Amino acid sequence: MSIWNYVVTAHKPTNVTHSCVGNFTSPQELNLIIAKCTRIEIHLLTPQGLQPMLDVPIYGRIATLELFRPHGETQDFLFIATERYKFCVLQWDSETSELVTRAMGDVSDRIGRPTDNGQIGIIDPDCRLIGLHLYDGLFKVIPFDNKGLLKEAFNIRLEELQVLDIKFLYGCPKPTIVVLYQDNKDARHVKTYEVALKDKDFVEGPWSQNNVDNGANLLIPVPPPLCGVLIIGEETIVYCSANAFKAIPIRPSITKAYGRVDADGSRYLLGDHAGLLHLLVITHEKEKVTGLKIELLGETSIASTISYLDNAFVFIGSSYGDSQLIKLNIQPDSKGSYVEVLERYVNLGPIVDFCVVDLERQGQGQVVTCSGAYKDGSLRIVRNGIGINEQASVELQGIKGMWSLRSSTDDPYDTFLVVSFISETRILAMNLEDELEETEIEGFCSQVQTLFCHDAVYNQLVQVTSSSIRLVSSTTRELRNEWNAPSGYSINVATANATQVLLATGGGHLVYLEIGDGILTEVKHAQLEYEISCLDINPIGENPHYSQLAAVGMWTDISIRIFSLPDLNLITKEHLGGEIIPRSVLLCAFEGISYLLCALGDGHLLNFLLNMESGELTDRKKVSLGTQPITLRTFSSKSTTHVFAASDRPTVIYSSNKKLLYSNVNLKEVSHMCQFNTAAFPDSLAIAKEGELTIGTIDDIQKLHIRSIPLGEQARRICHQEQSRTFAICSQKYSQSSAEESDVHFIRLLDDQTFEIISTYALDTFECGCSILGCSFSDDNNVYYCVGTAYVLPEENEPTKGRILVFLVEDGKLQLIAEKETKGAVYSLNAFNGKLLAAINQKIQLYKWMLRDDGSRELQSECGHHGHILALYVQTHGDFIVVGDLMKSISLLIYKHEEGAIEERARDYSANWMTGVEILDDDTYLGAENNYNLFTVRKNSEGATDEERGRLEVVGEYHLGEFVNRFRHGSLVMRLPDSDVGQIPTVIFGSVNGVIGVIASLPHDQYVFLEKLQSNMRKVIKGVGGLSHEHWRSFYNEKKTVDARNFLDGDLIESFLDLSRGRMDEISKAMGVSVEELCKRVEELTRLH
Amino acid sequence: MEGSSSAQPSASSPAASKLLANLPSRGLFSSTVLSSNPGGMRVYVCEHDTSPPDGQLIKTNQQNILIRSLMLRKQRGESTSKNGKGVTTGEGSRKRTSERLLDNGASAKRPSNQASSRQDGSNAKIADRDLHTLTVERLRALLKERGLSPRGKKDELISRLKNGTS
Repeated sequence: MSIWNYVVTAHKPTNVTHSCVGNFTSPQELNLIIAKCTRIEIHLLTPQGLQPMLDVPIYGRIATLELFRPHGETQDFLFIATERYKFCVLQWDSETSELVTRAMGDVSDRIGRPTDNGQIGIIDPDCRLIGLHLYDGLFKVIPFDNKGLLKEAFNIRLEELQVLDIKFLYGCPKPTIVVLYQDNKDARHVKTYEVALKDKDFVEGPWSQNNVDNGANLLIPVPPPLCGVLIIGEETIVYCSANAFKAIPIRPSITKAYGRVDADGSRYLLGDHAGLLHLLVITHEKEKVTGLKIELLGETSIASTISYLDNAFVFIGSSYGDSQLIKLNIQPDSKGSYVEVLERYVNLGPIVDFCVVDLERQGQGQVVTCSGAYKDGSLRIVRNGIGINEQASVELQGIKGMWSLRSSTDDPYDTFLVVSFISETRILAMNLEDELEETEIEGFCSQVQTLFCHDAVYNQLVQVTSSSIRLVSSTTRELRNEWNAPSGYSINVATANATQVLLATGGGHLVYLEIGDGILTEVKHAQLEYEISCLDINPIGENPHYSQLAAVGMWTDISIRIFSLPDLNLITKEHLGGEIIPRSVLLCAFEGISYLLCALGDGHLLNFLLNMESGELTDRKKVSLGTQPITLRTFSSKSTTHVFAASDRPTVIYSSNKKLLYSNVNLKEVSHMCQFNTAAFPDSLAIAKEGELTIGTIDDIQKLHIRSIPLGEQARRICHQEQSRTFAICSQKYSQSSAEESDVHFIRLLDDQTFEIISTYALDTFECGCSILGCSFSDDNNVYYCVGTAYVLPEENEPTKGRILVFLVEDGKLQLIAEKETKGAVYSLNAFNGKLLAAINQKIQLYKWMLRDDGSRELQSECGHHGHILALYVQTHGDFIVVGDLMKSISLLIYKHEEGAIEERARDYSANWMTGVEILDDDTYLGAENNYNLFTVRKNSEGATDEERGRLEVVGEYHLGEFVNRFRHGSLVMRLPDSDVGQIPTVIFGSVNGVIGVIASLPHDQYVFLEKLQSNMRKVIKGVGGLSHEHWRSFYNEKKTVDARNFLDGDLIESFLDLSRGRMDEISKAMGVSVEELCKRVEELTRLH
Repeated sequence: MEGSSSAQPSASSPAASKLLANLPSRGLFSSTVLSSNPGGMRVYVCEHDTSPPDGQLIKTNQQNILIRSLMLRKQRGESTSKNGKGVTTGEGSRKRTSERLLDNGASAKRPSNQASSRQDGSNAKIADRDLHTLTVERLRALLKERGLSPRGKKDELISRLKNGTS
């Protein structure tokens, strides 16, 4: 790999952090707005449910999200503040469907300690000011003027330093905040302040409440007419206002989220840390609060946000599990739950660990993640591309073409499968036992190769061979009519639909025929100047049986031509350029847009927009699908039409949001494909590949497929072992019953096909699994699982004791072979020169695998290296060891065989707090740190002095905006050695927000080209809310902010394909590269993930 | 866990059912068949200019809050020496009227009785706090003006002033 890296998201963030409901897109429309860390999603509430509208990338990590309505406005505005102290106010312009920036700004202060409990952003219910608590001891106010515009912001000193929550009170003549804080004796109090806008100061508020619940962490302001505030504690809930105080005890729980149900604020939904949903009711007589009531409703995912939608439907946003759409039923179900989960929205976050495996052994990587936390923990299997679920297969060599036919025109199912070979044609059909059986259609000529077959009107079938067209009755299977090619000419290519046949013979003759009841009529003949290479008359106009256009691909001048039917007049001629002839053309329509697809002999595909009236071809685009000739066929799945491109890299072409998308099919090489929709195998495809004919169904047409294996506990480490075909995980079961009981940790063994737990090893009390590795040792043929643990004792700051456990899988059971006590937590384990390398607290330790006299084996310490704060992440490459330290960035160690010692070779002297490291190549190492940055360092072997050689030079910096937990070498897509992208090495990462991303190392020239494209894209694609892309991607931590370098934002670059044609032209002009070439190069990059 | 979560609601089911009655509805989610996410979500590509309108690029007032509060105190101090008697109430009322104006501008309409009762509470505290911010010399001057003894510690001066004025 190299230092020029391209970072792209394969799976977007799914961790839902905020949500709100309001009239955002129009005064009449009600929207649910969801924040997923760096993206917001806008949904529309309709009588039929949630309708997704828009997915908006934000150049920042969203810290707060609020909807509000300034005076005189008819719809809500959206306030977003980012973790890097930017904020913006967005308005939806329904005429242009654009997000308009109403205001934006920087709210950072040069001095100030960032708050420990997260940023708070709140808006006065009467819209007089926006309040922000970003730094300890400071409250920032952005006032509104009387026109609803924002004025200069100012800070107010807040005496309370440990603030837990701040909210605005309703119904106060002056804007009043209520502050929940902790004093230096750890007691918690609630205080109110009025904001004096003129004096830019606080004035003591109407009331305060000392010594509230010790676990109080949430305030809920109650709207008029009741007003006041609810203080949510761990053991009590209190309603408090200037003249009332009501409290109720609750079962001990930590409330994570709340959602207001009624506009008058009398009912609230509370979600706790265990995923239990409660209903809190304020009972009142008129405006006087009389008490509180709380009832358990049932269980959901652990909520981070709750939004009551409408008509008893509630959105539960979760950071630890799938987000959900639930319905509150008035009557409990048989289990006593009032909660009915209607939909689950996949969330991979937090990805704590993952591994890349090839379970199907197809050369296609899959990612298995440890996702979710607490009770919502799960394993997720993430796979790119579209799979074929094989249902039947026959060995058949040399297939030259395949077509399915129906037994009558109005039969919904196919009956026959015509398979053509070089010198014969065979017909397969489903028999009564639902088996594929060879049969005969008497009217067909079976001694020669078939060029084309199709169903025709009047219960007829059409077969085209090199000498004739045969029209056959599908009921009697007898020949009804035959058209013979003129003597001396043979038919080279042919196509047909239900009423038309178009064929080409040698010498450039194009013949058009129409099908009647028992007759074939030659309607028109045309003589072209060159030979014809391919044809299509797929009807995509109004009449589903008749096409008014024909597409013809030509040899010699390498062009495609559009002819009108029936008169065969040339309408359009498009030269393709280059020397590669078109091998397959297809007229098709996606989402109401007509296209002409044209596949070339070298695996490239051209697509054009086709004007059905004028036959004009516009918006030419080119993509590379493979390296072999492509055959295009339409098929339908779930009543939508897609195109299958059969080649050495089979691809499904489909359309989403009026944009053509290409998704890999997880098969190696497909020569022919046709739909074979039979009663026994509905919606199936017949696929000819590598001497085999397969019948199978196709996955849902989408890019990533995610399978979920719920565990009910959190998996923290995962590892796969090819030999035993198992996964081993370290998992943690949280004890929910009582606080005294500590969590229980396990090592579990799972079958890699069924994902069933087949063996479990329980760790000791207080012992937790920290690392896991599948490895073998020198002089031992067995493959082991090694597990590193730590004893996490409540009284210790750092673990001082741990173990290394060595397991062997025997008969599907984990057998403990050896164990070794360590003087600290084993944060990392690596296989290293047939030995075991462990990172134990501040030390790197190498163990030998020794045979004892009695035949048993043990780990014996060989050598070690001190000098880290905590060696958390270790990767090895040959004799080199790369260590990611808790706070001392990356260092490079070397193992010296002769001396049997580990020495430090070089280090990066910056103070980065690491969250992951990976070795890109011999000299370049990649790191992720806890301010969401990525960086690369390079070994400087050619340095003149020892000092220079001992320094790892920082060569790349980038703000990813994601907390990366793990890097792994590997790829999500199938790697073909002869494709362009097949040569690009990639690293996959997993993040807390559920992002799976790909880092690809590019050759320098490609990097330079894409860097130029990125800077041009920045000028065209603006950051929503006026946030700057350059600023967002700049490396940022407490100590420094520097521009990104040697990293490119693939998400920005790939959005080139979403641009309007005008903007593409603009960029193309600025770059001096054709749009076609740009599209092709960007499209290729999208195939990295 | 499962046992307890299932046991509790069934015991209290009538109550929860009653509390769940009449959930707000505007006619959305009313269809018996809810369609689940049809198709993917359109990714927003922002091609238009997103810089904020004039004057809406918000910056923070750079005046140091410490200096600002000192200046505020100075202002108050000046008004104290000018007004002589009834310092704190005068100060309070000025502030109140100015903020009333602001409130009206923002069309915050609230029952006035509620407002005044709250402010009374806060005013007493302002007076208290303001006195603490004054220097001993100024407190002594104030006491002399009121014909009270200027002797003693600061706390005593303040309590004497408070008793004298209120």
